[in-house]
Amino acid sequence: MSPGAPVPLPPHWFQILLAVADQDRHGLGIMTDVLERTGGAMKLWPGMLYRNLGKLVEDGLLVEVEAPAGAETAGGRPRFYRLTAAGRRACAAEAERLAGFVEAARRKKLLKA
Amino acid sequence: MTRRPFWIAALLRLYPRACRERYGDELAEAMRACVRRERAAGRRAPLIAVRLLIDAASAGLLIRGDRASTGDPAMRTMLYDLRHSLRLLRRAPLFSALVVATLALAIGANTAIFSVVNGVLLRPLPYTEPDRLVLLYERIPGATEPFGFSAPDLAAFRERARSYTSLAAFRSVEFELSGIDQPERIAAARISASLMDVLGVAPALGRTFTAAEDTGRQPVAILSDGLWRRTFGGDAAVLGRSVSLDRRAYTIVGVMPPQFSFPNRGPRLNNVPAEIFVPISFSDAQLRAFGAMFNNSVVARLAPGVTVPQANAEAGTIAAQIVAQVYPAELREMGLNVGATATPMREEVVGNVRRLLIVLLAAVGVLLLIACADIACLMLTRAAARTREMAIRTALGAGRGRVMRLVLIETGVLAAAGGAAGLGVAWLVKRALLGPVSGGLPRAAEIALDGRVLAFTAAASICAALVCGLLPAFESSRHQSSRALKESGRSATGGLRQRRIFSVLVAAQFACAVVLLASGALLIRSFARLVATDPGFPTDRVVSVSTSLPQRSYPDAAGVRTFYARLFERVAALPGVSAVGASTELPLSVRERRVFTVENPAPAVPASGGVANDWVTGQYFEALGARVMRGRALGPADTQTSEPVVVINETLARKYFPGEDPVNRRLAWGGVKNHGPWMRIVGVIGDVKQAGLARETEPQTWQPWAQLPDAVVANNPTGLFRTLNLMVRTNVPPLSMVPAIRGEVRQLDPALPVTGVQTLDEIVGASASAQRFNAAVLGGFAGAALLLAAVGIAGVLAISVAQRRQEIGIRLALGAQPRRVTGMIVREGMVLVAAGLAIGLPAAFAAARLLRSLLFETAPHDAVSFVAAAIVLCAVAAVACAVPAVRASRVDPVTALRID
Repeated sequence: MSPGAPVPLPPHWFQILLAVADQDRHGLGIMTDVLERTGGAMKLWPGMLYRNLGKLVEDGLLVEVEAPAGAETAGGRPRFYRLTAAGRRACAAEAERLAGFVEAARRKKLLKA
Repeated sequence: MTRRPFWIAALLRLYPRACRERYGDELAEAMRACVRRERAAGRRAPLIAVRLLIDAASAGLLIRGDRASTGDPAMRTMLYDLRHSLRLLRRAPLFSALVVATLALAIGANTAIFSVVNGVLLRPLPYTEPDRLVLLYERIPGATEPFGFSAPDLAAFRERARSYTSLAAFRSVEFELSGIDQPERIAAARISASLMDVLGVAPALGRTFTAAEDTGRQPVAILSDGLWRRTFGGDAAVLGRSVSLDRRAYTIVGVMPPQFSFPNRGPRLNNVPAEIFVPISFSDAQLRAFGAMFNNSVVARLAPGVTVPQANAEAGTIAAQIVAQVYPAELREMGLNVGATATPMREEVVGNVRRLLIVLLAAVGVLLLIACADIACLMLTRAAARTREMAIRTALGAGRGRVMRLVLIETGVLAAAGGAAGLGVAWLVKRALLGPVSGGLPRAAEIALDGRVLAFTAAASICAALVCGLLPAFESSRHQSSRALKESGRSATGGLRQRRIFSVLVAAQFACAVVLLASGALLIRSFARLVATDPGFPTDRVVSVSTSLPQRSYPDAAGVRTFYARLFERVAALPGVSAVGASTELPLSVRERRVFTVENPAPAVPASGGVANDWVTGQYFEALGARVMRGRALGPADTQTSEPVVVINETLARKYFPGEDPVNRRLAWGGVKNHGPWMRIVGVIGDVKQAGLARETEPQTWQPWAQLPDAVVANNPTGLFRTLNLMVRTNVPPLSMVPAIRGEVRQLDPALPVTGVQTLDEIVGASASAQRFNAAVLGGFAGAALLLAAVGIAGVLAISVAQRRQEIGIRLALGAQPRRVTGMIVREGMVLVAAGLAIGLPAAFAAARLLRSLLFETAPHDAVSFVAAAIVLCAVAAVACAVPAVRASRVDPVTALRID
C-alpha cells in the first residue's frame, strides 16, 4: 500500500478510487458513478469531491491526465483522473479488507453461501 | 471562462483563489448537477442552497487549512490573525463576555422565534403534495363562520364535483379509552376510508380502512404513532389486537408513521391532533338528513391544473344546485341558502397565527439590530483604543484590507461564539416561553431546532458579525499611520468624528426601541382591556369537570339521566359545595348557533348569525353566578312533561323585544313557515360572554337539558348530550374539591374518566391566553430593547466624558457649577433620544398597522400607548444619561488639567 494511503481507507476515498479503477473519469463522472453504485447512499458534494481529488493526487493515488479523444464531457475541458499503481494497491487492499468482513458474515450464516 | 449565474459565482468565492481558477468550471458544472439531482429527488430549493453553501464553505476552509499546513503564506496569515484575535479577546474577558452574552440573547431570541416560524409556516404539511389539499366548508350567506358538510351534501358533492381527484370526510370525536392503567378521554377522528389516500400518507404498520369497513360500521381502528407507543410500547405485533373505545372493542388494523399528524377541525377539538382513527360510516338516517347535521369536515385533493379559485367557483355552483334540486321544498322556503367554499389546507391550519409570527420575527430582528449597534459602539471604542497598534501595523506595511480583516475576524469570532451560545438560549426560550402556549399553536409538535434553523442561526451570526464589524473595521483602517503615531494615547482615542458615529448609532437604537416599545404598549393595553372585561359572572370558587357516558354502558336516555341525577345529588352533598349544575358547553366556548322565530308579532328573523344555544341542568345559573334580570332561571320543574321553556340573555331581549317584557312570550327553532314547537321564555339572564372574552356578546338562549327528547340524548352521533360539564360552586378553594368529586364519579362508575378539570378563573384566563402571550413576548422584547438602548447611551456618554475630561476640567476650574456640567451631559444624551423619538415614532405608527388584528378594543394608533412608550423611553434614557453625567460633575479640575 502507498505510504500516503491511510488504513482503513476512508469510504469516500475508496469509492472515488473504485470509480476510476476501470477507466479514466472526470470529477462529475466520478460523482455520478459513486452515486449510482451506492444506490444514492453516498452523495459526493462538489466542494468535498474536489478537495479529496486534490488530496488523492497529492498522495500519489491518482494522477491527472488529458481528456481522452472523443470522451464524453459535461461542458468545458475537465481534467480526467487515472488510478496510479499506488492507488490501485490501496484500493485493492481496502477491497480485500472489506471482503474479509463479508467472508466473516458468510461464515456466521448471515449471507447465503 | 463562461459566464456563471450569480449563485454559482457567490459560492465559488468561498474557495481559495487558486482553487477557483483551477477548478472553477468543473465546480460550477458539479453544482448544477447537484441541483438537478436534488430537485429530481424532490428537495426544495432553499434546502439545496443551504447544503451547497455548507459544502462550499467547509471545503473552502479545509482546502485553506490543507494549504496552511503545507506552508501557504496567505493561509498562514489568516490563521495567525485568528490566533491573535482569540488571544486579544482572552485578554479582555469582560468585554468578550459582554459581547457574546448580548449576541447570544439577541441571536437566541431570533433563533427561537424562527424555529416557530419554520415549524408552523415554512415546513410543508406532512402529506404528499400538501399544496393541492383544500378543506371544503358550507356556509350560509351573511353568517360569520362557515361550518362542515352534512352527509347527504357530501354524497352529492362527491358525485358532481370535477375539481378534485378525491374527497374524504372526517369528524372530530372524543373516546373513552379503557382497558389500560387509567381510563382516559382521547381526541379521535371518524374518517372516510379514502382520507389517507387523499392525504397521500400510508400507515407505517398495517393498512387503512376498506370501503366495506367504512360503509359497514365495522369496529376497526388505526392508531397514531404516539398512542401506539404510549399504550402498546411500540409493539410491532399490535395488528389484530383490540382497543376499547367507549367500552366497545375495536380491532387495530394500522399504525400511522411518527411524523404524521392530523389536526382536527371544528368546535371543541379544533387543532387537537387525533390519536386514533375509526371509520366515519354514515348511517342511513344521516344520509337522509338534508339541511341538518352540518358537522363533517371535508378534505379534498385538487385535480391537476385546477386552482383554488376555480375549485371555489365550482363549489358555489354545486352547493346552489344541491339546495335547488335535492333539498326538500320546506327547507328552501326556510331560506336555507347553503353555499360552499374551498380553502387551501395550509391556510386553514396556520392562517390565524401567520400575522403574529411575522410580527414576532420582525420584532426580534429589530432587537438584533439594536444589539448590533451596541456592539458596534463597543468595537469602535476598542478600535479607537487600538489606534496606535493599527498605525504601527500600517507603518510596517499592512494594507487597509489586512487591518479590516483583522477587525472582522475578531467580530467573526465573537459572533460565532454568540451564535453557538444563542442556540442554547433558543432552546431555553423555546421550552420556557413556548411550552405553556404551544397547545394553542398549530403544528406545535413540529417546532424543532432542525437543519434549517441551524442555517438561520449561522446566517444571523454572519449578518451580526458584518453589522457589528464593518464600521469599526473601516474606522480602524482609515487612520494615517504617521498622524496616529504622532498623537498621544489620549488624543488618539477618537474625536469629533467618532462621537458623531456614536450619536448616529445611539439615535438609531432609540428609534428601533420606540417601535418595539410602542408595539408592546399597544398589546399590553389591549390585554389589560381584555382581562378587565366582565365575563358576566364571578370567576372565583367554581370548578368545572367533564364526564361523558359511553353509549355501550348507557344505551338509553334513562340511564344517562339517572347517572347525572345521582352524581349531582352526591356532589351537592359534599361539604363545601354550595351549588352544582351542568351544561353541554362551557362558558366562553359556546359554538352551537340556531335560527329562530318569535311568536306574534313574528318578525322574520334572518338566518344570518343565528343565536348561540346551550343546554343546562341542575343549579347551573347559581353555580355559574349568572344574574337573573327578569322572570326566573330554569329549574327542576322544567321536565319532559312540562311546557317547553327557554331563558334568554339581555342582548337577545334588547334586540328582539325592544321596550317590552319578553317573559311569557314564545319562540321556536326554525324559520317563520316551518318551525319547531313553541318554547315559553321564562326569564332573562344577565349577559355572559359565551364565545370568548374578546368576542362580542351575541343573543343567547339556554334550554333545560331535561327537556331534550330521549332519542336525542341516547343516539346523538356526536355524543354531545351525553357529555356534561359539571359546574361546582364551593365555599372552599375549588381545586381542593376535585378528589372528592372524582371519588363520587368513581363510586357510580369506576371506569369513567373525569376530564377537563379547571377552575372558572382558569377558563377565563385561557380565553385571554393568546393575548397574554402576545403582550408578554412583545413586551419582553421591548424591555430588552430599552435596556440595550439605555446601556448604549450610557456607554457613549461615558466615552464622551472620558474624551472631554480636559474640557470639563477647564469648565469646572473656571467656576462652572457641577450641576450645570451634569445638565450639559444629560442634555447631550437627551438630544440623541429626541432624535431617536423623531425617527422612531412615525416608524412605530406605520408598524402598528401590522398589529391591528391582534388588538382588542384598542386602536392601532392609540395615543395613550404611544405617549406612554415615549415617556418610559425618556425616563429610562434620562436615568442612563445621569450616571456618566454625575461622574462628569465629579471630575477633579486639577487632575484633569495635569494630564498630558
